[in-house]
Amino acid sequence: MLLFRSEGHVNAWLAGRPPGATIPVTQLAELAAAWWGDRLDPDWRPHTREQNQAILDSLGLTGPFWALG
Amino acid sequence: MDSTDIELRNATYGQFVELGRAPRAEEVARSIDRSEAEVGDGWRRLHDGHALVLDDAGEIRMANPFSAVMTPFRVEAAGKPWYANCAWDAFGIGAALQVDSVIDSECGDCHDPIRIHVRDGQPDDRDLVFHVLVPAVSWWQDIGFT
Repeated sequence: MLLFRSEGHVNAWLAGRPPGATIPVTQLAELAAAWWGDRLDPDWRPHTREQNQAILDSLGLTGPFWALG
Repeated sequence: MDSTDIELRNATYGQFVELGRAPRAEEVARSIDRSEAEVGDGWRRLHDGHALVLDDAGEIRMANPFSAVMTPFRVEAAGKPWYANCAWDAFGIGAALQVDSVIDSECGDCHDPIRIHVRDGQPDDRDLVFHVLVPAVSWWQDIGFT
């Protein structure tokens, strides 16, 4: 889970390997806020798989690659 | 994960934030009046439940998004330096602490330094991209690699 200057840098890094998924850093920031924002809440409870999948879905991260086990 | 383990988990995270580093079992044990063995056993259950990650010695390796060891994802937030486990977690530290942050990392390809100021959840450099190689279904098969 790395940062890159551009998609061109991702492709250079992959060097022909099958790609995973590339998203804008702005979307990553939204994802992190939704995923980790409650991590220090006194009333924290573990996220269910369905809750986490809903976070991904809400950001348009859908399809087989983003399907949690 | 029962309420006893959630209390232990919350105490562990609380100590991590207070100390600015991963707490040792004895420190958490003292804070919630448990034995070190009880903390160690509880940490193992939390590890198995993916609520934190232990190293081979049974010490905290990750209390996601926080890393107990140095990584290429350094974060300044709430007046303290932190290490995150990955780029996703680097944004997660400011989100968890609910403060602005500064992320220092590098391009995974060319290794040029990357510095991102995150204010109100928004990164100032909006041209960067994030790549995740491993499909979501396999993230926990090897969380260190992921």
